[in-house]
Amino acid sequence: MSSKESCRSELRIAIRQLSDRCLYSSYKWAAEQLIGIEQDPSKFTPSNTRFQRGSSSIRRKYRTHDITATPISGVSYVATPVMEEDELVDGDFYLLAKSYFDCREYKRAAHVLRDQIGRKSLFLRFYALYLAGEKRKEEEMIELDGPLGKSDAVNQELVSLERELSTLRKNGTVDPFCLYLYGLILKQKGNETLARTVLVESVNSYPWNWNAWTELQSLCTTVDILNSLNLSSHWMKDFFLASVYQELRMHNESLSKYEYLLGTFGFSNYIQAQIAKAQYSLREFDQVEAIFEELLRTDPYRVEDMDMYSNVLYAKECFSALSHLAHRVFMTDKYRPESCCIIGNYYSLKGQHEKAVVYFRRALKLNRNYLSAWTLMGHEFVEMKSTPAAVDAYRRAVAVDPRDYRAWYGLGQAYEMMGMPFYALHYFKEAVFLQAKDSRLWIAMAQCYETDQLRMLDEAIKCYKRAANCNDNEAIALNQLAKLHSELGRPDEAAFYYKKDLERMESEERDGPNMVEALSYLAKYYKSTKKFEEAEVYCTRLLDYGGPEREKAKSLLRGMRSTKSSFPPSDGDHFPP
Amino acid sequence: MAGMLKQSGAFTITPHKVSLCILFKIYAPPGQFSVPFPFVSVAQHNRLGLFLLALTKSCDGILEPKLDELIHQLRMISQDWEASWLIDQLISRLSCLLSPEDLFNFFTDIRGILAGPETSLEDDQVILDPNSNLGIFLRRCILSFNLLPFEGVCHLLTNIGIYCKEEFSSCPPYEETGLDDSSNNLETYSEYENMDLENFFYEKVSEEIEARKEASERVPFHLHTPNALLSLVDDIDVPADSASKQSDKVRVAGPYEDPQSSMVHDSDPSGAVFLRTNWQIQGYLQEQADNIEKNSNAISLNGFENILQQLQKLAPELHRVHFLSYLNSLSHSDYFAALEYLHCYFDYSAGKEGFDFVPAAGGNSAGRYEIASLCLGMMHFHFGHPKLALEVLTEAVRVSQQHSNDTCLAYTLAAISNLLFENGISSTAGILGSSYSPFNSMGISLSVQQQLFVLLRGSLKRAENLKLKRLLASNHLAMAKFELTHVQRPLLSFGPKSSMKLTTCPVSVSKELRSSSQLISDFSSESSAMTIDGAFSTTWLRDLQKPTGSLIFCQDSGSGNSSNVPQFCAQPTSIPGSVLQVLGSSYILRATAWELYGSTPMARINALVHATCFADASSSSDAALAYIKLIQHLAVFKGYKEAFSALKIAEEKFLSVSKSQILLLKLQLLHEHALHGGRLKLAQKLCDELGVLASPVTGVDMEIKTEASLRHARTLLAAKQFREAASVAHSLFCMCYKYNLQVENASVLLLLAEIHKKSGNAVLGIPYALASLSFCISFNLDLLKASATLTLAELWLSLGPSHATRALNLVHGAFPIILGHGGLELRSRAYIVEAKCYLSDTNFNVFEDYNLVIDSLRQASEELRLLEFHELAAEAFYLMAMVYDKLGKLEEREEAATSFQQHISALNNPQDHDDPLVSIY
Repeated sequence: MSSKESCRSELRIAIRQLSDRCLYSSYKWAAEQLIGIEQDPSKFTPSNTRFQRGSSSIRRKYRTHDITATPISGVSYVATPVMEEDELVDGDFYLLAKSYFDCREYKRAAHVLRDQIGRKSLFLRFYALYLAGEKRKEEEMIELDGPLGKSDAVNQELVSLERELSTLRKNGTVDPFCLYLYGLILKQKGNETLARTVLVESVNSYPWNWNAWTELQSLCTTVDILNSLNLSSHWMKDFFLASVYQELRMHNESLSKYEYLLGTFGFSNYIQAQIAKAQYSLREFDQVEAIFEELLRTDPYRVEDMDMYSNVLYAKECFSALSHLAHRVFMTDKYRPESCCIIGNYYSLKGQHEKAVVYFRRALKLNRNYLSAWTLMGHEFVEMKSTPAAVDAYRRAVAVDPRDYRAWYGLGQAYEMMGMPFYALHYFKEAVFLQAKDSRLWIAMAQCYETDQLRMLDEAIKCYKRAANCNDNEAIALNQLAKLHSELGRPDEAAFYYKKDLERMESEERDGPNMVEALSYLAKYYKSTKKFEEAEVYCTRLLDYGGPEREKAKSLLRGMRSTKSSFPPSDGDHFPP
Repeated sequence: MAGMLKQSGAFTITPHKVSLCILFKIYAPPGQFSVPFPFVSVAQHNRLGLFLLALTKSCDGILEPKLDELIHQLRMISQDWEASWLIDQLISRLSCLLSPEDLFNFFTDIRGILAGPETSLEDDQVILDPNSNLGIFLRRCILSFNLLPFEGVCHLLTNIGIYCKEEFSSCPPYEETGLDDSSNNLETYSEYENMDLENFFYEKVSEEIEARKEASERVPFHLHTPNALLSLVDDIDVPADSASKQSDKVRVAGPYEDPQSSMVHDSDPSGAVFLRTNWQIQGYLQEQADNIEKNSNAISLNGFENILQQLQKLAPELHRVHFLSYLNSLSHSDYFAALEYLHCYFDYSAGKEGFDFVPAAGGNSAGRYEIASLCLGMMHFHFGHPKLALEVLTEAVRVSQQHSNDTCLAYTLAAISNLLFENGISSTAGILGSSYSPFNSMGISLSVQQQLFVLLRGSLKRAENLKLKRLLASNHLAMAKFELTHVQRPLLSFGPKSSMKLTTCPVSVSKELRSSSQLISDFSSESSAMTIDGAFSTTWLRDLQKPTGSLIFCQDSGSGNSSNVPQFCAQPTSIPGSVLQVLGSSYILRATAWELYGSTPMARINALVHATCFADASSSSDAALAYIKLIQHLAVFKGYKEAFSALKIAEEKFLSVSKSQILLLKLQLLHEHALHGGRLKLAQKLCDELGVLASPVTGVDMEIKTEASLRHARTLLAAKQFREAASVAHSLFCMCYKYNLQVENASVLLLLAEIHKKSGNAVLGIPYALASLSFCISFNLDLLKASATLTLAELWLSLGPSHATRALNLVHGAFPIILGHGGLELRSRAYIVEAKCYLSDTNFNVFEDYNLVIDSLRQASEELRLLEFHELAAEAFYLMAMVYDKLGKLEEREEAATSFQQHISALNNPQDHDDPLVSIY
């Protein structure tokens, strides 16, 4: 990794270039990272530290080890970006166009730049045209919404833009920004391979454009594709890799990348949010909550990624925190899909599912491809017992992203609710295929096999076994395995699993009906196999519990003693009268 | 049908419709009299009217035609200068529409064409009746224009611009070259795939031919080549001279090639493609679904999939597209895709489309997912997973009972009985028992066939109550099938006194068949909603493109153009295709029934009826079945040469029918032929290949499995490996018993008798023959019974000459049916046995009655020559020679002896025999 100072100067120049080209979100991202770079204590000035967290409690709390010692990327190929001076002649036109652009008058901006040849002007013209087309497309999508849901609105500018850009590329006079735009257009036209090549070219020659990286990321749907990319090393590549790993569900790899990046960008909110995302996928809710609390403290008007925070709060049933969050994002910007989603989550937690649906609908209106809203809406419909609507919502989520195991799982649940367990199995299989290490999915599938209609107990056992092997938090699998085995008349296996369950409960210091069940089964089992000592141990433990089990244990003990007394007593003093 | 579609806005105004409006205006300019300007005669004017009528009703494909297509059609219907005038007018008026105001004015003008209610009809004025077809169309156009918001008008304007631009730039537009739209991409990709495939096939084929030239004396085997290739090689064999012809054939067979996909190719990527109205798209999809069923091999997987994808892009809320995708992948045996599409379709549509869906009066938010289960079950059945299918169908039964969806229940029960019927399931205990069985509560366990019977009855009753005519008819058919092969046993027999009549009842079979076809005749009086709107006008539009048709029709519509006019005038047939299909399969079933009962002429007639009358309506597998029956008939009665030539025709017709029944038939015929010719190794190979065709799952493809092991036993018998043959036959008997295949058991028993007879163990053989005989009697299998009688006679005869009279009596008893209905082999066997009986009879005087014997033998030898059955023929000639020897007719004796020798040498030395096999296989 290059030094903090060089990163900083690279970013400073890049920010100016990105803002010249009106690539707002890249610009924003780069600026965030710039602030995120840890200050050298020598140059500490109060103004510089204003935005930085005084005490990074998260880092202290959760960063167990420093990984800065492992530089993954080699030497950076690209030096600091060169500031280019645009020709003074079209500088004036450029300034006018940029002002139009900033006022979102794209066509006007493009018109001003119609025969400018400077590189900045050229790019800005293309970009303005592209955005004008996009804007028109969005409008058309609403206008054309016909009875069959026709939504084939296309960006009318794509064709001519693509033609111009491909000639530029052929001539070799294309700059990295135009390449990025070209890649974007190619992707929209469905020519993914070429888009990938072009984007790789773009990021290799100008790595500071985060937009290009995100576009590239959306084209990396498998690890093989990722490995086939020919990317030169740069610290931006680490950001990219971390993000791609996350998308590919390689959460631990992603986490370690981010930890590594924290070495330089110690105060980056972005990285913190991404770490939270990864932890969320690993279901470490406490950590996620801590990270978000911290984030909100430093950046109280943040809406990005806050829907995930709301999911965590939902899962932890923190009513007031969730309502607080909902209120806050509502005041900040209520017409963001994330905001709607958070409000929806709040209503869902309150049990007001109809209202929740309204807000999820709004989120989807703002962004049709907002995956989690579809899934969450499906959950709401399930709660409202309107299964067809739930099925529809889940199916649309699957259509947006076929790898969304939650939606597959939801589909399975919906069909199971309708009393079609066999039909539901297909969906559970899909879900399990995508997320093989999730015990909940295996348990759901096992329960499906167990239903009265199917009673395919052997299959259920197989599923529970898988669930038990992948860290079953709720500890359902072991108990169920034991029960099923005893039901199928396999006492040895049943005892084995009861014992395992018992051990687990002991280690986690849990107690409850399962404990009693396991103890009484084991006592009976050992008695029937004539292992009286073990049986006695379990019986005595049962005596600690009240109810009928206690009486049963007593009678068992009595019975054993009487049988024992008929045998020659080997160690009969075990139970003094 | 289109329950899910919003009906409002189904008719949208598009550039094509605008140009139709322009043509209307030319056709009926307001305020003009008699024949308006460009037309010289009334006939010409009428022709344009007819053309416009056809255009408004046409539904050729899902997309509206482009301007150049319309212009092309205009050129077809009218004379030179008039056509160009029309076209000029059309283009200039279209290009005049430059602003929203122009459009508004245009549509206001158009309204003038229509006659208002108060318009007094002056004598010659050309005016459109607002209630005529054209008038309604025009009014709909005007209405949908008026409903457009300003954005819509703008869109229409740009669309008209694109629509015109395409025509003006005659060369392909510049964008086209630089474009690779995703669909285009796919298209080119699949084209490349085609090319590769073609090359691949071609190479394979030419290699094959070369290899064959090198080793022409060896019979080539393609045990591991795929079916498509196998049939290809066969095709190539005949016209091996011209390369072009070969590639043509290859083209037809290539499953990726599709003429329809050109439609996708044309479609403009810039977004100016317009769907026709909902009904037309639904009609198109329906038509395609029928097509898939009728000749699945004609539709290519990728080509059709491309169209569907495009359609889905244009109309994402049209869920039926997913169902078509499912059908498409089903017909191409793509299990995973089919599964995915099926689930997808039902997730979206909630079962509220198609079938006999009647939207419920109340809130129907429940969804009808039981239909999904039903379809899934049928899919598993199709792919040969009977256990899974039964699970799913059981679930469907449960869910439809829960939701009291009786229609679905009836269908499901029919599907289950079909499943039980087709697949051998030795026990349904625990699967079906809990959910649907009225007897379960009584604690009586039923055998599978009893359960099947109960199910069939239940489904039948339900169908009757619900007036589901098609289901009722096919249930009757299923019932007939059941009664054909299963012994009618009293369902609940208590105690020893209950009557145990163990027979099948041909009368009830024919009753069921009759009632199935009767129900269908109801349909002719009923009007059907299934006909596709305007289908026939489209055919007329197509006819226009044939040069002769248009000319004659244009000049004088009265003169007898017999092919076009009736087609144009005739109403589309009111009997829906699916009904015809059921009717057709009833004929197939009739043929099968007669085949079993032993009346070959009747069987042939019924198969012929199906092949000639129902060829268009029936599914490809049914049609193939009819052909198979006819070819089998040919083989049995006319010998192999004719059968093989017929087979060739059938193979061309059904290139890759699923499970390749034709391939099965071919193997059967070849095996038979090889057995008769004494080429046992080949016979064994063919038999093994036959066995491989069956699915490895137990209980699936029982017919093929029985067939294969029966043939295996026969081959072993011919090789004189009696012990092995007997053990194979025994295990076959056990299997048939397990799966209740009693009809098959009769022939297995007969085979066992035959084995014992050949092994010289006549005493052991007689009980088997008798058992087979009693089976035949209880199942009314007359022809098989005659054959068993013959075997019995032979067995008696081999016990010694003292039993000759008894044997002769048996043979004579069987003669009427054998001569009337038996095939060549059976007849000649009967003749030979008769001769043998006479000859071994001590009372028979050779010198007086030799004609009796010689005639029979001569007849037998002639028939056997057709069959190329050397073994029996040799026997016949041997007997003949012996008789002549006795009589002292030396010349004839020598002649018979030479023939005998020829046959024996042919039998022992099958290789140097001129063989039609090498060419066919």
